[in-house]
Formats: sequence, C-alpha cells, structure tokens
Amino acid sequence: MAETRIRRWVPPLVAVVLILTAWQLFTVLSGIDRWLLPSPADIVAAGGADRLSLAGHTLATVRLTLLGFAAGVATGLLVAVVLHVVPVVRAAVYPLLVVSQNIPTIALAPLLVVWLGFGVLPKVIVIVLVCFFPVAVATLDGLARTDPVTANYLRMSGANRRQLFTKLEFPNALPAVFSGLKIAATYSVFGAIISEWLGSDQGIGRYMIIQKSAFRADRMFVSIAIVVLVSLLIFGAVVLLERILVRGRPRRDAHG
Amino acid sequence: MADPGVTPMASALEVSGVSKSFRRGRETLPVLVDISLRVENGEFVSIVGPSGGGKSTLFHIVGGLLAADQGTVRVGGQDAAGRRGLIGYMPQQPALLPWRTIEDNVVLAREIAGEPRRGSSALAREWLAKAGLDGFASAYPHTLSGGMQQRVAFLRALLSDHELLLLDEPFSALDAILRVDMHRWLLDIWEENRRSILFITHNVEEALLLSSTVYVFTGRPATVLERVEVPFARPRSDEVLDDPEFIRLKRRLTHLLKHDARQAR
Repeated sequence: MAETRIRRWVPPLVAVVLILTAWQLFTVLSGIDRWLLPSPADIVAAGGADRLSLAGHTLATVRLTLLGFAAGVATGLLVAVVLHVVPVVRAAVYPLLVVSQNIPTIALAPLLVVWLGFGVLPKVIVIVLVCFFPVAVATLDGLARTDPVTANYLRMSGANRRQLFTKLEFPNALPAVFSGLKIAATYSVFGAIISEWLGSDQGIGRYMIIQKSAFRADRMFVSIAIVVLVSLLIFGAVVLLERILVRGRPRRDAHG
Repeated sequence: MADPGVTPMASALEVSGVSKSFRRGRETLPVLVDISLRVENGEFVSIVGPSGGGKSTLFHIVGGLLAADQGTVRVGGQDAAGRRGLIGYMPQQPALLPWRTIEDNVVLAREIAGEPRRGSSALAREWLAKAGLDGFASAYPHTLSGGMQQRVAFLRALLSDHELLLLDEPFSALDAILRVDMHRWLLDIWEENRRSILFITHNVEEALLLSSTVYVFTGRPATVLERVEVPFARPRSDEVLDDPEFIRLKRRLTHLLKHDARQAR
C-alpha cells in the first residue's frame, strides 16, 4: 500500500526535477537577461530575500481565499438544495445559471469595485462567483442520481421529505459534492488573486502588480509559486476531508 | 406489535377490490383489476404470477406510494390509503445504503420512525447474531455477498417493528443453490417471531414451500386467478418438496400460470 503510493509519486517528481534542471541549464547557457527569464536559483534567492514581506502578503491571500471559498461553497450548496427540493425553481433558474457562467468574472469585478468599494466584500463576492457554480452543478447532479428503488424503500418505510434528503439524497450526493469542491478549491485561489489585482493594499495579487511595474520577473515567479502552493494546500485539505467523510463505496461501483 | 386502538381480531392486511391503471399518453394501461386478498396475523402468504405483471404496483399501493383507482386497503384494520410507514418492506434489490455500516443499515427503518438509537443498536446486534451475520455489524455493504446483503435487507424490514412485512421477489437475483439456503434461513427466522408476510415471487416452488396461502395472479393486467391453501405442517422441512401432495400442487399452479400465459398470447 505504502509502496504503491510512493511509486505513484516518483514519476511526476522526476518530471519536475528534470524541467527545473533544463530551465536552469537554459538560462545559464543561453545568457538570457535575468529580468526577462530568471533561473530557478534566482527565483529561490528572490523569494528568500523578500520572505518577510511575502509572508504577510501570503497570509492576507490565504485568509481572503478561505473566506471566499467558504462563502462560495455555502452559496453553491444552498443553490443546489433549493433547486433540487423545488423543481419549479430548478426549471426556471437552472438555464439562467448555466448562461450566467458565460459572463467572465474579470469583467464583473471592476463593476463590483464601483458598487462596493475596495473592502473585503467585493473581493469575497468575486470568489463566490467563480466558486459556487462547480459546487452547485456537481451537487445537483449528485442529488439527482439517487437510486429510485432505495428512495421508494425509504418512502414506504415512512420517511418524510427531510429524512429522504438527510438519510439518502445528500449522503448519496457526497462524492459528487467533493468533485465540485475540488474544482472550487483551485478556482478560489484564482478568484482571490484577480480580486487583489483590481484594488487591494495587500495580498499576493497586489504584490504581483507591484513587481510587474518594477519588471521584477523573479519576484513574479515567486508569487506564481506561492499561488500554486496555496492552491495545492487547499486542494489537499479538501481531499483529506473527502477521505474522512465519504465512507463505504459509491452505489455506482457496488452494483456496476 | 399492533397499534393501540385497533382490534386484535383485524387481519394484518386486507385488500378488497383494488384496481389501478396507468396513463401513457392517451392510452390507459390497466395494471391491477379487482384484486382482493387477505393476510391473517402471523400468516405467510405468497403471490405468484408472471414477472412484470403489476405485483410490485400492488406493493406500492399497500405501502402508500400510489393511490388505488378503486378498492380499499386496510393494514391491521386501519385504512391505509396513501399512508406510509405502516409496513416493513424488502425490495427486489437489497437497496442498502453503501455509506452505512451493516448495523446502521439494519436500524434505518427504526431511525425513520424515531425510535431511540440505543435500543435499536442492541436489537440489531441481537438479530445479526441470530441471522448468522455476527462479525459484520461494522462492515460496509459492498464487502458482503449478494445473499448476505439480502439477509441484511430482510432484517431491516423485520426490525421496522411493523406486523406486516412485504417482500418483493427478494431472492430472484440469487442463484438456485443460494436460493435454497435463503428459504431455509427465512423460514427459521420467521418461525421465531411469526410476523405476517406477503411475499411476491414468480417461482411456484418457492411460494408453496414458504407459504400457507398462495394467490395465483394472471399477467398484465393482474387479476386473482385462484387462491390455494397449502396444507403442510409447520415448521416445514425440505422433505415437503418430495411430498406427492406438494408435487401435485406444484404441477397444478404451474399449469395455471402456463395456461394463463397462453391465453394472454
């Protein structure tokens, strides 16, 4: 078990090391300007030199991301449950919801700043806008895939609507909910960075804007690395939670 | 076990004159026509008829999922039209919740009825042991074989604490050898508490082996073709299968079903 897990990690790790080595060799051998393409070693050095300021910005971004992620997930779940329980609302709202996803969030964000200023609220709303949709769609899908035989069993045994939901539909949808959560987890970091670009006095997004003006490519790479790291951490936390909460085996496999 | 306020003399189930048809577009598809049957307290009654003949629809009516077009259904003397939660039910597939342990599955119906958890757990463990499933209480359903999952589904119905149990072709997905095992198992468990059972099957031998009364249904639309009393003493042993009377009854019911199928064609 442990051995196969290690074996699974080896190929991607080797790939990363190879890419970094090739990158380092290219920058040294080609003599490309450092401000245009810094080497991995330069980037590590830049990160180390600026670590105090980076720690503060990272903390601000993580805080904003978690707040937005939580609000987005809550919104997504709420939308899914309401649409599932009231079919009329689903028929009316679901198509609008899908169409609304064609509006680029980047285009909405400045408008939110105009309406709500530079505080936390418009930033959280941006994250909610990118997060709630994958959660809502995945949850709705999972709720709709309830086994009709089991649902009939529960109804004949006297289950009311609430019991049907809490004892069958929601636990049955949980694996699907987590697929939505995993997508939303990575989206939330992306949403946080965008909202920080548009107006903020702290956060990695703000840091990137400053470094862009100063042509500090090395520091921009540092911020990219931090964004990736934060994304992975939140994603990992969601996977961990899934391991704890999703028990037994999904019905699809059990009877497949 | 019976509800207070209900006379103990009432039958566990009394279906009289029930008809049901479904509408498909402009067509009206009759599924049940004038069905009357009765399950006395502690009686094991089977309905045998061709597969897909609307027998499950009857269960859905008794269980309160569907409303009959005509006729009445009384469970333990009470009018059961549209009322759910009056019966213990075992569907064709085990329909266990895969994310719950076996013990948590077995207590599901009690949980729905709002029974306190502690008593249910003790009862579940007691019955799991009686059913030869001790050691599986904290296992998840997918680790159990099909036959074991059906036993769990039966216990779940049994522990629902209702006098009447509806079993809808519970063994139809099992192979012949396992099926014989399950008959023995079911009879043993049933002898211990003598609940009232209405059992749907398309297997004549199964119906005769298990029940005191067999109702023979026609194919779609389903009507009651004949009511047959099965005279063998309880507890029944497998030797009943070789009894000349058993063989005669089996031949007669098989003939009735075949004849009906030929007429339908």
